[in-house]
Amino acid sequence: MVEGPGVTTRAASRVARTAAAPRGASWIEALAVHAVFVLVVVFFLVPFLWLFTAAFDADAVAYIRFPAAPTLNNFVRIFTEHDFGRALLNSVFVAGSTMVLDVIAVALAGYSLSRLEWRFKSWITYAVLLLQTMPLSATMVPIYGLARALGLRNSYAGLILIHAAIELPFLVWLMKNFFDNVPRYLEEAAWLDGRSKLRALAEIVLPVARNGIGVVAGLAFLAAWAEVLMMIILIDSQDLKTVPLAFYETLRTQGGYTEVQYGLVAAMGVLYAVPVMALFLMTRRMMVRGLVASSRGL
Amino acid sequence: MLARNSTYIAGVAPAAVLLALFFVGPALWALYSSLTNLALVGIDAANPRFVGLDNYTRLFADPDFWTVIRNSVTFVVGSAVIGQFGLGLALALLIDHAEHRRWWLGTLAYGAVLLAWVNPTLIAGFLWVAMYDFFFGSLNHVFLSSLGASSVDWIGSFPMPAVIVANIWRGTAFTMIIFLGALKTIPPDIYEAARIDGANAWRRFWDHTLPSLRPIAALALLSITMSTFGTFIVIQTLTNGGPGNATEVIALFAFHTAFKSFSIGYGSAIAVVMLGLNFAFAIAYLRWSRARA
Amino acid sequence: MARVEYDDVSKRFPTQDRPAVDHLGLDVANGEFLVLLGPSGCGKTTALRMLAGLEYPDSGDILIDGRSVVRLEPKDRDVALVFQSYALYPHMSVRDNIQYPLRVRKQLTAMERLSKVDRVADLLGIRQLLPRRPAQLSGGEQQRVALARAIVREPRVFLMDEPLSNLDAKLRTHTRTELKALQKQLGVTTIFVTHDQAEAMTMGDRIAVLDAGKLQQLGTPDNVYQRPANLFVAQFIGSPPMNIVDARRDGGALVLTGGWRVEAPRGLAGSDGIKVGLRPESIDLERAPASGAQPAEVLVSEPLGSEVIVNVKLGDALLKIRTGPDVRPDPGTPVYLRARPGGVRVFDASSGAALN
Ligand SMILES: Nc1ncnc2c1ncn2[C@@H]1O[C@H](COP(=O)(O)OP(=O)(O)O)[C@@H](O)[C@H]1O
Ligand SMILES: [Mg+2]
Repeated sequence: MVEGPGVTTRAASRVARTAAAPRGASWIEALAVHAVFVLVVVFFLVPFLWLFTAAFDADAVAYIRFPAAPTLNNFVRIFTEHDFGRALLNSVFVAGSTMVLDVIAVALAGYSLSRLEWRFKSWITYAVLLLQTMPLSATMVPIYGLARALGLRNSYAGLILIHAAIELPFLVWLMKNFFDNVPRYLEEAAWLDGRSKLRALAEIVLPVARNGIGVVAGLAFLAAWAEVLMMIILIDSQDLKTVPLAFYETLRTQGGYTEVQYGLVAAMGVLYAVPVMALFLMTRRMMVRGLVASSRGL
Repeated sequence: MLARNSTYIAGVAPAAVLLALFFVGPALWALYSSLTNLALVGIDAANPRFVGLDNYTRLFADPDFWTVIRNSVTFVVGSAVIGQFGLGLALALLIDHAEHRRWWLGTLAYGAVLLAWVNPTLIAGFLWVAMYDFFFGSLNHVFLSSLGASSVDWIGSFPMPAVIVANIWRGTAFTMIIFLGALKTIPPDIYEAARIDGANAWRRFWDHTLPSLRPIAALALLSITMSTFGTFIVIQTLTNGGPGNATEVIALFAFHTAFKSFSIGYGSAIAVVMLGLNFAFAIAYLRWSRARA
Repeated sequence: MARVEYDDVSKRFPTQDRPAVDHLGLDVANGEFLVLLGPSGCGKTTALRMLAGLEYPDSGDILIDGRSVVRLEPKDRDVALVFQSYALYPHMSVRDNIQYPLRVRKQLTAMERLSKVDRVADLLGIRQLLPRRPAQLSGGEQQRVALARAIVREPRVFLMDEPLSNLDAKLRTHTRTELKALQKQLGVTTIFVTHDQAEAMTMGDRIAVLDAGKLQQLGTPDNVYQRPANLFVAQFIGSPPMNIVDARRDGGALVLTGGWRVEAPRGLAGSDGIKVGLRPESIDLERAPASGAQPAEVLVSEPLGSEVIVNVKLGDALLKIRTGPDVRPDPGTPVYLRARPGGVRVFDASSGAALN
């Protein structure tokens, strides 16, 4: 729904502007802009260049150097010596469950907020945005205490519930905007055709808003996959170690000034970062549009 | 009215429970425990005592706290206001321009900036640990040595600029995306009309492009200020607040107080100050965005 | 098949100062085609949606077959609504759209369902559209699919909210006739909402005229046309609308603007401040002076093919007069007007209510 008329007009205006752009930009301008772009690309890509070269280098060092003999040795070692397979499984399970929980909670809440008719409705929206801006680093100590009190430390349930909650305000708000674009008469028609509100939501509204559900699912998964602060305070058990925790631990014990095993850390980093980047870049348009909408909203 | 909405209120419930449990609850708990001498271990862990505003008076008298505030402000101004905002705006303008000219290098730059942003924060910290390494980091070993310059102890000598640069690297994409989105909504006829009126490129930029970005700029600025203010992982990975407390920002201070010195009550007071400041920014944000609507 | 009653129903939206529907009372007979007619914003849609269960009345009751439905969920009311925008499910094929209400009800096997969908599709001539998606249909085709989805259910009541307003003029007139014939064939009680008086006149068994949420008149098309209950109905129905001019009483006669004397209709009730209404076809136009005819001057003639509308200046009023196609007086021509007996409607100037 979101890629409705707004996008077409934007595309149209793009064409118009391009067509109207003056010919013959001066070569100095072109040179200057390109020089800036080269600097930008170097600045932003060089750290990744190091990550990927080091991961395939049997004795990687802290500086960029192309491995004499590229090898998968580092990857083999993180699985055999550091139980990284377990961490991957844990992460997939936690991020996947978080995603499912978030999609359900967000679909229900976003739809309800979109359809609710109440004088103070805008205040709910503000409250949600307020929560969204609350820094986790400020509440991590209470969250630690709460998780301990509720027995949520060192448990999948704790990880899943907390990660589902972290992204919830933003996702609810995002999804509400998607639902606002689904005309009400569609679900009303379904009610009249004999459906309950819940089934009309599932059969009619959700399929129509499936782009939004896709964005929410993707963002929920990525956020839970990448998040590390809550993992650090919630998990001590080796059995529950996730990818970011494995990476963090290896970084603490292997990296630094003592025993530098950059190759191992880099290999873990690659497996930690690549799914995020791949998923994000594949769905870039949708994700970026969602984020832009988030800033524009209200 | 209420009966009519009851289904919808029920629909909000699952999300509301999660938010109450993990957002509102912890915030209230921080407020409460900041008024006690609760500790992580020892007698005070089992039997916290109500101490009134003691934690706050102690905090405001603590010179470390004011160092931390100064560090936080420096970090926010350097990495968010100047770095991410300035660079993000400049990049958005250049990339938008490049798109009109069909210069593909702009697209590559866009992708590179985006990649640094979607990359997990922890990795960002780690990558810059390696970049800055005194003996073998790429900055010293590759760049400076190829220029014939001698190595610089980046983190030791310039800790604050070092974490600022790392955070600029990590977070510039957000403002860039926001501004690119805003640039695309400027109707092209404005430019055409201006061109017909004889305005040159600079005039069009000053008179039309910048003013139409102003409302969104305020929101973007507030929003990155808030998120930068809570920065934890990047700094913890790079310097853990050091050397000394040169890069100890408020989130690290709260963490270290609670988990290293085990004084939860005192740590909570710091958290409450953080939440309070953040709340002020958030209210400003909401007022601004409501005024826009 | 059902009888529908609105019993003193009122509804005000919280954001609005005045009620959208104001003490509405209506009784729709079994099998009747009732048209709800009124200008945009007069509360037609709200009245319809309350019957469907999509809005709740603040007060009053709505009954189907004598049983109150206001507490029932929309799904339990067994009424079908054709939305102005058709509300076709965009992610389903036309076939799935039409069979959706049947699938929901689970009374039929898949085979029975499909053959029923085919029958309805044949009835509406949309068999070839069944595999398509709504986005691949024209407005007229979408309208038929929406209709098919309503018909296939065999509901107790059909509700239609301006279903023809998104069609082009030619298709609209064509569909009017078809829809009316279809309703007679199916015999299902139908409430049809429109703001188009011509649509209302041609389709309705009875017309309920609404303004500002209030029922102005309920009657057969002839009845509301010939005997409008008040000035609003008089001016809303008919094209061109009824001529309304200021007048006063003078014994057994009425003196209109410009000094035109016409005979007062029999049984005229009290009141002094009055206005007189004359339909464009209730005024005869003569070229030569005659006794009792009122002289006036032609402003302009508007030929419409089968008829001509002659605009005449009478005092400070402008009268529209319908004449045969061969009468086309030039501007400035003096003409003589005569009101047809029985064509004179008198209204109270302040309340607008009809006095005869
Ligand atoms: N959901 C709503 N909220 C507030 N006001 C409404 C709503 N729906 C309709 N109204 C108002 O109620 C009045 C009647 O509307 P409606 O029934 O849609 O009129 P119609 O269908 O005759 O054009 C209008 O003034 C309209 O603005
Ligand atoms: Mg309507």
